[in-house]
Amino acid sequence: MKQHLGRQSGVQNVEVSLIDGKVQVTPKEDGQIDPMQLLKATYDSGVTAAEMDVIARGKIVKDASGDPALQVEPNRSFTFEPNELSKSLESLAGTQTFVTVRGQLYKKPSGKKKADLSVPLKLLVLEVQKKE
Amino acid sequence: MDTRKFALLVLLGSILSPVTHAQIKHIEMRVEGMT
Repeated sequence: MKQHLGRQSGVQNVEVSLIDGKVQVTPKEDGQIDPMQLLKATYDSGVTAAEMDVIARGKIVKDASGDPALQVEPNRSFTFEPNELSKSLESLAGTQTFVTVRGQLYKKPSGKKKADLSVPLKLLVLEVQKKE
Repeated sequence: MDTRKFALLVLLGSILSPVTHAQIKHIEMRVEGMT
């Protein structure tokens, strides 16, 4: 799996811990990494992704439906899964403020063997680390 | 000439810097079925 993920675009380094089933992915400096592609590559390598957490820096924008989202690349943004933390960030939409958040992009649905990866990933904000 | 080049660099930097500052810094996955 390590080689499989390491070949994905934007991946600089992959560390796998067999003991606790954790996979640490370090993106390249240019930040052009696609979390959905990583999830698909994980399934392709024969294992099941249970969770995916990210630390991301970006600007708060409104998506096409008017919902707040974190823009991490000019053409990539993640709509927030609404919670108290995401609501606290809504007022920053459209400003030049950069925020760094830790959040969950994916969690395997309970009771299902394989998740539906055709729907866009939503970001559940777990921690706002920085506003600048 | 040098002043014009410098001004152009400053302009390009101000346009591009917000983009380059946004990025995914780290990803952690928990996986099942790994041997």
